[in-house]
Amino acid sequence: MTAVTTEYPSKAKSSSLWKSLRSILASQEAILAITLLALVVLVGAANPRFLAERNMSDVLQGNAYIAVAAIGMSMVIVSGNIDISIGSAIGVLATMCGLIATETELPVIFSWLLPLLGGALIGAINGFFVAYLRIPSIVVTLGMLSILKGGLIVYRGGETIYNLPPDFGLAQLRPLGIPSPVWFMIVLTVLAALWMRYSATGRSIYAVGGNKEAAMLSGINIRSVIMKVFIINGVFAGISAVLYATQFTSIQAVVPPGLELSIITASVVGGVSILGGTGTVIGSTLAAVLLRAIGSSMVFINVSPYWLRAVQGVLILITVLADILRRRQLRRH
Amino acid sequence: MSVSEKFDHQPAANRLRSAFLSQEVVLLVILIAGVLILSTRTSVFLTVDNILNQGRLMTEVALVALPMTFIIVTGGIDLSVGSIFGLSAIVLGYSWQNLGLPLEIAIIIALVVGAICGLINGLFIVRVGVPPLIMTLATLALYRGLAEGISQARSARGFPEWFYVLGQGNFLGVPTQLWVFVIAAIIFGIVLARTTFGRTLYAMGNNELGARFSGLPVDRVKLIIYTLSGLLSAIAGYIFVSRVSTTRSDMGSGLELEVIAAVVLGGTSIFGGSGSIAGTVIGVVLIQLLKNGLSLAGAKNDATIVVIGVVLIFSILVNNFIQHRRGTAD
Amino acid sequence: MQPLLELRNISKSFPGVQALSKAQFEVREGEVHALLGENGAGKSTMIKLISGLYRPDEGEILLQGQPVVFHNPRDAQAAGVATIYQELSLYPELTVAENIFMGHAPRNRFGMVDWGAMRQRARELLASLNIHDMDVDRKVGTMTVGNRQRVEIAKALSMNARILIMDEPTAALTEADVQQLFEIVRLLRERGVAIIYISHRLEEVFLLADRVTVLRDGQYVGTKPVKETREDELISMMVGRTIHNLFPKLPAQVGEPVLEVENVWRKPDVRGVTLTVRAGEIVGLAGLVGSGRSEFAQVVFGISPADSGTIRVNGKRVEIKSPADALKLGIAYVPEDRGTQGLIRQMNIRENVSLAVLRDIARNTFVNRKAERSLAERMIEQLSIRAYSSDQVVNKLSGGNQQKVVVSKWLASKPRLLIMDEPTRGIDVGAKAEIHRLISELAQQGMAILMISSELPEIMGMSDRILVMRGGTIVAEYSRDRATQEIIAAAMMSEAAPETIVPGNAATFESAAL
Repeated sequence: MTAVTTEYPSKAKSSSLWKSLRSILASQEAILAITLLALVVLVGAANPRFLAERNMSDVLQGNAYIAVAAIGMSMVIVSGNIDISIGSAIGVLATMCGLIATETELPVIFSWLLPLLGGALIGAINGFFVAYLRIPSIVVTLGMLSILKGGLIVYRGGETIYNLPPDFGLAQLRPLGIPSPVWFMIVLTVLAALWMRYSATGRSIYAVGGNKEAAMLSGINIRSVIMKVFIINGVFAGISAVLYATQFTSIQAVVPPGLELSIITASVVGGVSILGGTGTVIGSTLAAVLLRAIGSSMVFINVSPYWLRAVQGVLILITVLADILRRRQLRRH
Repeated sequence: MSVSEKFDHQPAANRLRSAFLSQEVVLLVILIAGVLILSTRTSVFLTVDNILNQGRLMTEVALVALPMTFIIVTGGIDLSVGSIFGLSAIVLGYSWQNLGLPLEIAIIIALVVGAICGLINGLFIVRVGVPPLIMTLATLALYRGLAEGISQARSARGFPEWFYVLGQGNFLGVPTQLWVFVIAAIIFGIVLARTTFGRTLYAMGNNELGARFSGLPVDRVKLIIYTLSGLLSAIAGYIFVSRVSTTRSDMGSGLELEVIAAVVLGGTSIFGGSGSIAGTVIGVVLIQLLKNGLSLAGAKNDATIVVIGVVLIFSILVNNFIQHRRGTAD
Repeated sequence: MQPLLELRNISKSFPGVQALSKAQFEVREGEVHALLGENGAGKSTMIKLISGLYRPDEGEILLQGQPVVFHNPRDAQAAGVATIYQELSLYPELTVAENIFMGHAPRNRFGMVDWGAMRQRARELLASLNIHDMDVDRKVGTMTVGNRQRVEIAKALSMNARILIMDEPTAALTEADVQQLFEIVRLLRERGVAIIYISHRLEEVFLLADRVTVLRDGQYVGTKPVKETREDELISMMVGRTIHNLFPKLPAQVGEPVLEVENVWRKPDVRGVTLTVRAGEIVGLAGLVGSGRSEFAQVVFGISPADSGTIRVNGKRVEIKSPADALKLGIAYVPEDRGTQGLIRQMNIRENVSLAVLRDIARNTFVNRKAERSLAERMIEQLSIRAYSSDQVVNKLSGGNQQKVVVSKWLASKPRLLIMDEPTRGIDVGAKAEIHRLISELAQQGMAILMISSELPEIMGMSDRILVMRGGTIVAEYSRDRATQEIIAAAMMSEAAPETIVPGNAATFESAAL
């Protein structure tokens, strides 16, 4: 039985502007943007070198590949699932990217595009197990994680890839003076946000994550939605891998440790509810940048960067708690 | 409702037990087959030295798998075990080397910290209602982060001789830690199979609401099992430090994978409600056997995690299938 | 006039239950047709057949005279059938507009969701229902139950529903919301929508409906135009004749009070309950779904502890904070929902029966299998549970035998007070009689019994004293010899009849019987 409370009809039409302003300010995206700004101002005041252009560009650019991967992850989480194999997938796909460039005669564009296909394939396998064989996503992707991670070590033995072709460095380009990872991050975030808001499939992700039964009654094909979400997530992992692989002059063929956690943190802190059904990719991108800013700040105010992961953990916990408490409030009405 | 007539007339518990048994028996057969194949391939495999050494290597995973079996039987999960393992190792080294505490006290502190980490998981799961998966994913990051923060990439080493007895010594010719595991496994096995506590775990895994409505102390039991999971992870961490003679903040990363794979391979349903310690023990041994076999066959050590991943997914598929046949799924 | 939808000779059975047999029903365009019946009469089965969740075993469904088959809810929707469920099927995290148009949102020419058009059409739809004050951008989860229901109705209309099924739509609404709902229903009727209206509240039927069909025990009793019938006629159609030998009430010695409850509150469902149950006494607690009966039982059993008020057990004031506390005080609770609350269905009889007394039959926390088995076998014998052994998994038992296992579990705890919530729901007549006989015997042995039931014959036949609950509080009390089904039903259902309101006072039975 639900409590019945009286609701005040919005008698004050004039205040609707204020109301919508308030609701924008209360959104996770705004909270993140304000936190980010406050952090930059405070740390900048404490140590002006933090504001140097070089550092600011690093703050924006450094986590761009995480932000890109977090876009796909956000979709997965909104649908009520999770993918903890994403870090390993990025490691494998980055290696693939480098090997295509160095060991094959293919034009460099293929080394940028084929990893996306590889990502889609990994996503399709995850998606198949989750959607059609109904195995919990945590278990499927835990298995996938170890297969990819172990496979990479077996295949490459942690060897670094050198001798990358000169035109390989996609992430080192600076169109209009802005580093290309930042371009990718912004453009993909905007496109994904639009897609999630305006496409029928995008909306059905929210439906599946929000109320599976209702989604079924609305005639939504739940399996196909979950499948699509995992494939898209794989493609974003591919893009992320290419950005990761092309940023330096060599590629270390290992899985970056803890990468999946950074990506999940970005999504969760960005307001994507791990209970499913809500969240946007704009939030997750802001959160990815915020995480980098926090990491960078720690250096400038002399806190050991080794505490970064603990800060991540606390941030996830706080966001999840806030989400649960908010939902409880919702239910009480 | 009509599964099959013959099926229906067979006493149900026997049927359930025989289904369990069959999973355990199947595993045992695979195990023996594996041992036979490996022993014909290399002469090293079937030597007492190698087997005891494998026992030494598997103890850490095996210890953590015991409380994990309890947790998965109730339908929960604990992803933070690897991080607690690492954090306890770091706390042990830090308290001894940096805080200058006696090593005995440092060990106790490490174990207490592990138990508290588990208790925190339990408290949030019970009191706030955070799903176990999410809670322990968050603390997977948090506890690992604490380990990294406390250690600052420094490691402790140079422990006194007696400290290595647990990890590197023998008792009656058998690795010391293997005794610890055998005793723990017997206790956990009896608790799960024979006691009111074990019965409560099964009841919770099958129908938590029903267990609550029957007056069973569901919340208290959850606190206990997550705390146990933290404590055993810490003990495993301590044993590991004793075995490898040093501490590092990344110790135990990926441990959760191996542990969960072993438990699930041992026939415990990932959806809760069924499973046994005997199955888990066989699961752990089987995985260790795979690792050993692969390394003897010349594969790199890390290759084994590929196999573990495959094993995890495969055994869940098989489990699903068995549950379906049994008609208890859904 | 040809009916828009017609059900002919419909039968549907589930394992152990004949939910509907040769039932019929029809609804016309622009008609509100009420469907009445007690719990278990077959109303919800009928709705599920119409909305495509079930398929009939026998008989046919005709839409405008043409036979149709609904394979799934989608088919029914396509045919213009929409259902407003009791548990709302909305997305709490999404806005009003999106909830209305999920799955069929307006698109622009690029195939993208056209939010502007969606909002506009949502506003239009709501306006057509005379709802002008709802913000279509608001998240549904933040709205009241009444407003959520309006969103559900708008959603149904957005799919061009011609037949609208409303299942107990007023159960959780405030008075103001009820009035607004009635206006919407009348509006839709004028627009030619056929409305199937299920409600326990007779005054609503008379306010809203054009015709009314009554079901009883899965069978069709009759259809009447509302103008040509009266409340008492409908009530007697619903309850039928009483079969007295089903309820072997034995005389018992009524002793000291076992449970005394005084002004107990647990918001929002339990609002100041006062009652007493004595040793050897069977107290029947009648009331509609949503009247707070089960919630009250769960307060006494410690599942949702009381906010305020006093509870005494055997004269001593007690605090009951968990089921374990209740168990220690000798309180047992056979819950309403066997499957999710009463049993661990994957476990066997032995393991279920011992669940509440695990500690007592354990030796130093070790489960004593022998004691457990002999307990289970004793219970199987005593309650004549039909199973080949105590090792049988309860999932495979029939409903009646499952219920006996639940009762066994609590009898094993040797309670002083046994609370039974719908003790015979969904079980066959034979098992029903056995459980009734058992209840009588237990009372005879001095157990205090509080029996909650929606079935009036059961309440009438079994109880020494009958309490009626409505709106979270006890509104009437009758002694066994004074009560008739008609008065109880009236007290349960109608806001009116103030002369029957006797808060816990036996002195005014005389007026109640009038």
